[in-house]
Order: sequence, then C-alpha cells, then structure tokens
Amino acid sequence: MSMQHDPELDDVLQDQELRQLADLLRQGRMSEPPLDDAFRSALRRQLMNRAWGMGETSAPWWRKAFEPAGLAWAGAAVGVILIAAVVVFTAISNPGTDTRQVDVTSPMSDQSAVKLQQPILVMFNQAMDHPSTEAAVQITPATTVAYSWQANTLSVQPTSGNLAPNTQYQVTIGPGAKTATGQQLAAPKTITFVTQPPPAPSPSPSPSPSPTPRGALTGQHQLASVPDGISIVMWSPDSSIVYFTSSKGALESVPAAGGNVTVLAADGVTSAALAPAGDQLAYVRNGKIEVLAIGSGTTSEISPTLQPSIVGWAKHGVVWAAADGVYVQAVDGPVKLASLPTSGLVVSLSFAPDGAHLAYTQDQSLQLLDVVSGKSIALGLSGARFLGWSPDGTGVMYAGAQGVVIYDVGGKNTTALPPGEPGWSSQDGILLGSDTDLWQVRPDGSSLTKLADGTYHLPVWAPNGIAFTYVRGGALFSASAPALPPKSSPLDSAASVVNAFMQARKGQQADKAAAFLDDSGKQSYSSSNGGLNLLVTGDPSFSRYYVLTQEITGSQPDTAQFVVRIVLSHNKLDVSTYEETLTLVRTQGSQQFLVDQAAAGPLLSLGRGAEVVSVDVSPGTVKITFDSDLMPATVPAGVIILDSKGKQVGGNPEYANRTVTIGGLELKPGASYKLVVLSTVQDVGGNNIAAEYDLTFEGPGDSHGGDKHKDQSPAPSPRVSTSPSPSPTASS
Amino acid sequence: MSDLPRDDERDLVERAKRDPRQFGALYDRHFQQIYRFVYSRVREQTAAEDVTSEIFMKALKAVPRYQDTGRPFAAWLYQIAVNAIADRYRTLRPSSPLEDFHDLSIAGPPLEEEAAHRDEIRRIWALVEALPVQQKTALVLKFQEDMKIEDIAVAMGKTPGAVKLLIHRGVSRLRDEAGTLRPAE
Repeated sequence: MSMQHDPELDDVLQDQELRQLADLLRQGRMSEPPLDDAFRSALRRQLMNRAWGMGETSAPWWRKAFEPAGLAWAGAAVGVILIAAVVVFTAISNPGTDTRQVDVTSPMSDQSAVKLQQPILVMFNQAMDHPSTEAAVQITPATTVAYSWQANTLSVQPTSGNLAPNTQYQVTIGPGAKTATGQQLAAPKTITFVTQPPPAPSPSPSPSPSPTPRGALTGQHQLASVPDGISIVMWSPDSSIVYFTSSKGALESVPAAGGNVTVLAADGVTSAALAPAGDQLAYVRNGKIEVLAIGSGTTSEISPTLQPSIVGWAKHGVVWAAADGVYVQAVDGPVKLASLPTSGLVVSLSFAPDGAHLAYTQDQSLQLLDVVSGKSIALGLSGARFLGWSPDGTGVMYAGAQGVVIYDVGGKNTTALPPGEPGWSSQDGILLGSDTDLWQVRPDGSSLTKLADGTYHLPVWAPNGIAFTYVRGGALFSASAPALPPKSSPLDSAASVVNAFMQARKGQQADKAAAFLDDSGKQSYSSSNGGLNLLVTGDPSFSRYYVLTQEITGSQPDTAQFVVRIVLSHNKLDVSTYEETLTLVRTQGSQQFLVDQAAAGPLLSLGRGAEVVSVDVSPGTVKITFDSDLMPATVPAGVIILDSKGKQVGGNPEYANRTVTIGGLELKPGASYKLVVLSTVQDVGGNNIAAEYDLTFEGPGDSHGGDKHKDQSPAPSPRVSTSPSPSPTASS
Repeated sequence: MSDLPRDDERDLVERAKRDPRQFGALYDRHFQQIYRFVYSRVREQTAAEDVTSEIFMKALKAVPRYQDTGRPFAAWLYQIAVNAIADRYRTLRPSSPLEDFHDLSIAGPPLEEEAAHRDEIRRIWALVEALPVQQKTALVLKFQEDMKIEDIAVAMGKTPGAVKLLIHRGVSRLRDEAGTLRPAE
C-alpha cells in the first residue's frame, strides 16, 4: 500500500511505524451511514420553525428598517420608546383590550388541489397589526408576494400572478405577528396545501359517463316478430339486409328499412355465417353445411365426415368446427386445420369474422383456438361466457365477474367494460344492452354514454356503424345510434391510463396497477428481476404524484412518454421525490395504452431550492415551470437543453412568472434531448438548487392532432376499470 | 470538511448570525458530515438522529454569538458534536463494533492480500475504540473526518499542541497494542 503524506503529522509521528499505523487508520474511512431522508427534512423544518421565533425576536422590523448596523441601536431605542408610548396609551384609552388567543385558519389548509388563480387567504379571529403580520409571513417555496387585507383576512397574492402548479406550499405566520392590541402569536402557525396541475391548453373529453340524452336513438322500428326468440343476427355488407335465425332454426331475412320477411331455410338451422362479400350464406342444417348463393338463390352442400357444429368464413372459404377439430373445404374435400381437445365436454361457439380463431368451451373453461397454430388459451376464469368479436377479429369479448372483458388477441391483454350484452361496430363503438338500458362505449373504456332506457337485447351493429338491431319482447327491431364523441387524442388516452395506473399504486392496489402493464412493463416492475417498486410502502409514504411532462413519441403503434414525479411525505409534509419515466404503447385490439417500459430516477430531498414542476415540450419551444420565483440573472446560464451529442441547442432562455422558455428549437421527432438545470440557479430567497437537475426527453412525434403537453388532473376514470391480472408484482 | 470556499462560508455564517432563518443553508452544507461523525461514535441510527438534532438545535441557538476565529464553521459544529457525544457517552455505550461501518474497499492487491489488509485495518480501528476518550476523539477527527489539527483543537477545546500530543499518544498506544504490523509497500 502506498502511504499518504500528511505534513501536519511530520513532527507528531516521526517514527515510520507510527506513520504506517496512521496510514492504515486513514484507509479505514467510514462508509456512509444509514440515513433517513425524512429525518433530515424534518430536522430542517424543525430548525426553521425555531429560527422563525428567533428571527422575529432578534430582528424586529424597525431594526431592519434602520440597517446598516450603525443605525440599528438608534432605531431600536426610538422603537422601544414608541412602543412603550403606544402600550401606555392603549392601556389607558382602551381598557376592553381583546386578549383572546390568536387563531389562524385558512380555507386552503390541508387542501390537495388548490386552484392556481387565487391568492392565499389567511384568516385571523381578531384584528391584526398589518405591518408586523405581513413581516411575519414566510412562504416556501420562495415566492414574491403582495399583501392586502379585508377585515381580518390577509390575502397573500404571488406577484407573478398565480400559484405554482403541483406544489406543496407552506405558509408560516411567525410569532412576530401581532394583534391590533399588540398581542403576539403564541407559536408559529403553518398552513400547508398542494396546488393543482397546470391548466390544460384545450378541453379534454370528459371521462365521466354522459347523462342520458333524450331521443338519442332515431329511426326505431320493428323488423320482424319472432316469438320463438332469435339466436343469430347478421347484416349484409351494405347494411341493407338483416339475416336472422329463430330459436326454432328458421333462417330468414328482412330489409333493414322494414318490409317483408323472406324465409331462406324453414327450419333445422343451428349455425349461420355470411361471407365477407355478402354474396353467400353458409349454415349448418341437419348435420350438413349448406351454402346459399344469395344472388341466384341456389344452394350447394358440403358433407363433412364428422357432423359440423358451427360454420364461419375464412379467406379460403367456408370453415367449420366438428367434434375433433376445425376444417376448411378444399378442392378435393375437407382439410383439417386444427384439432380440438379430446378430453372433457368440448362445445364450439363461434368463429372470428376473419376465421382465424375459434371460441369454444371445454367443460367450464372458455377457450380461444388459434386456427393457424392450433394452440388454445383459456379466457378468463372458469365459467367465463363468450359474448362476441370485434369486426376485425382481433378482439374477443366475454363475460367476466365484473362485466364485459375484451381480450386483445395481438397484445394478449384485457380491458374491462361495464356489464351488458355487447355489440362492436366498425367505428369502434361498443353497444352494451340489457333489460333496462343501452350504453355505448369505446373499446378502451372511454366515452361511456347512456343511449336509452329500456330493453335492448342482442345488439348487432350494421357495417355502416350507424344502424343496429336489437331484440325486445319477441321482436327484432332496428334503430340508429348517435356517433360517439370524437376519439380522445392519443395523448389524452395515454394520460388517462397513466392516471389510473398511478391512482392504483397510490391506493396500494397492486393487482389493479399491474393490469396497466404489458408483458415488458411487468418485467420493469418485477421484484425478481430487481425492477422498480410497484407499490411504495413505509414512511415516508406515497402521498401524491403529478405528471411532469408528457408527449407522443411515435405512431404505429402509438407510443407516449410520461415523466411522473412521485412525492413522498412524512407527517403530511413533502420530504422527498423521485421520477419515473413511463413509455406507453397502444395495443392493437382494445386500442388501450399500456405501460411498456419504466425507469426511475434517484430519490431527491425536497425543501432545498427551487424545483421543476412542469415541462412543456413542443418542437420549437420548451417551457420549464418552477415552484419558486427565481433570480432572473441566474437563469440564462443555468437552464439549458442539450442534444444527444451534448451540444447546447435553442436560443437564450427567457424568464417570466416562474417559467423559463427556451425557444428557437428544432427538436427532431424521436431524438433524445436533455434539459439541464444547474445548481447555480437561485430562487428569490438566495437558495441555490440543491443539485443539478436533468430530464431526458424525446423530440415530440406526430401527435395525431393531440396536444403535445397537458398535465392531467389525477382524477380516476369512473366506470373504467381493468380486469385483475394474476401476474406477480413487486412491492417495497 | 466542507468544500465551500471560506469567503462564501463566512458570508453564509454572517447572514445566519443576523437572521437565524438563514441557518438552513449552513445546515444543508454540514448535515451530512456531522451526522456521519455522530453515527460513527454512537453507531445506532436513532441515537445518531437524537444527537444530531441536539447539535443543530444548539448550533442554531448559539449562532448569533458565533465568533469567526478564522477556522471553518464546521470546526465549531464538531465542537458542539464532541460535547454532545460526550454527554451521550455518559449514559450510553456504543452497541455495535466499529469495524462494521468502515469502508474497506481497496483496489489493487490480490484478494487474499486485500482481505488480510482489511482485517488489519478493522483490528486497528477496533483498538481505537478502546483508547481513552480524548485520544479516540482526536484520532477520529484526524483520520476519519480528515480535519486539520487546528480545527480539531477548536472542536475539542484544546490547543493544537495538546491535540498533537493526543494523536501521538493514541497512535503510539495503538502500536503497542497492535503488535507486529505488516510492512509498508
């Protein structure tokens, strides 16, 4: 080992052996001890509270007024005389002095989503001395304010206009505050509240169910009376003809506009499927498959070896299921495409519109067979009931414990909708019928809208996405439904998922949170892989979160990136924070965004210098909002944007009202950039930022008309839920 | 000791003397080193938190009377810390062996040699614990906290010469107790 030379010890340790010992001691430096950040922050607050008391007594306002120090004594002497005179005068002239204890309250106290466009109101239970009270006000984060009074209420207005978003404010009235009669506060009083996110630049579609619009359905009329009941309904591709089968096995058609019913097969039909082109109708009748050419009215017959149970159409023609598997009719006869299980009671239920999948049950288990691979997977829990397909066959609907579940065949994930009998339109509207009402909803659970009260069974959309049929009281009806509100922008859709995901985590609902993760996302939060903590437990606790920045970073599939800041609190006070960068990808079937990747930044202590609370990224401009008023002179050199090569980009930062704007940018979609806020940036209290702050973001991609940035209210989406996932989750 | 330039530190201290509400900046600068020093002495997190709280509360209360002697502000904080720990020692003995807390990652030599070297350092620091309190404090401030002798003198309320004597006696006693040492390389 090489020895370190310390000249200070030359005359102390002259012996070589002693120096060697000293060197060993120096090599045994202590490692960093365990440290609770909450303790560190709490002690700081305790010290600051104590300092407030000291500050008020050691530096009264008249002393400050007479600084520099040479004038302080003279000022103090004058002050003492004046105060003594006032006290004597008051005692003599006003024997009914109010000596009640001073109570300080605020309507904002302990509130969590305080509006930004309002002053901080501090209410006293008696008249206060305005100068001493105003001088006793301390605000964190550092904020320049103006004061005004209305009776016994002090209005504290940030001079920059609004309160900072996503910020926990602490407003302390120090003991230096005096009543009009000269009584001091017994102890400092602190009012704590958290502000709401910044306002959205454009209105967001409401996630709440819409009220019932009167007369929302139009053109309701009866098509056919079917007292025996109806089992299958199909529309012609041009939405002009409705085909249906009765429970007794009659196959019939009727014009969608109304008219005479035509009997195509009088009885014995147990399954029917219309060719995608609408020119042929295949059906199972008396153990055979008949194919009706609709134009000519001629019928051909297929005679499978094993009795067929259901028919469908694939790109090669008619497909059917028999007891042992799925078949297609080739030139020289039936060809088996896939096998069905040989054990248990197997019942084939329905082919997907594209013929690529078959839904069937094996005893109590609902199964989905991939006709190409021959592999089956179970859908839902035991007893799940098949309900229908998406028009393109990429989504399967079944009845779960809580309602309708959509299984995305491509993304292998699920989305839950409210209960009902579903019908999925080509316009991605899903009708949910029942005995009592009819709703419409998007496949991702958004835009839930009640269309009508009443009985609406077996709703089936016409291909035009406007008309639909339904069954009520032994008759088949048709009606037209209003169009759903425009689809949410991709960014809004992703934001609602992020909010639901974070709400579930905040509520310690691991299963619910995990349902917003795709397979890759689950790896990111897997405890066995050393992933992130899905749940944050212990003290300090997960008290709130907010979206720092969000943007669409890609399309096909839609990809969004969010930076979410998680705030940890101890005794209701924010003490530390860390950021998670979430990448969300839209799934193919349900069109729902899911968290695909997640990464976390370091844990940072709060309460030391200004904090970035919002970052708004657009191709030409980046706006960075701080929670504190800044010293403008420290901004230009302290807030910069670097490209992936570390080269500074953009023009000079402009500062106003807590917001730094860097313009002159030409951010490239998908390219990586880094926002750097150096520790040289100071707030108006003279405090430097505790440590350099870095935020990596991508150049915004095509947003499909969505907003590039919009912080969201962390409100849950009512009636939109996800199915429980059995995947393992990590918790700290 | 803090890396803060002396002028900057002097400015912070003066501001805190005039207005204790400015003490937060000094707390931020020095919390880590004081807490680490306290922890190394009491070796129990709750106790370290208690003592650290006491130190900074005392420092806040006393800062208006702080006299700049030309030594770092940290030396004054260490002085409060040394006294607070001494008070603590009167009623509480350390509960964990010191060697558990020393970072002995040393790059370079082969593993077995490195392991032997680590053991040796642990043994030496364990012997430090058995030294008289004054010698132990002087060695910890010198070799663990890397303080200058004049600053240690401030912290311990002694003259620099007395500190040197404590260090010399402490290290000499270690040599006597440690026996044969591995030769220096």
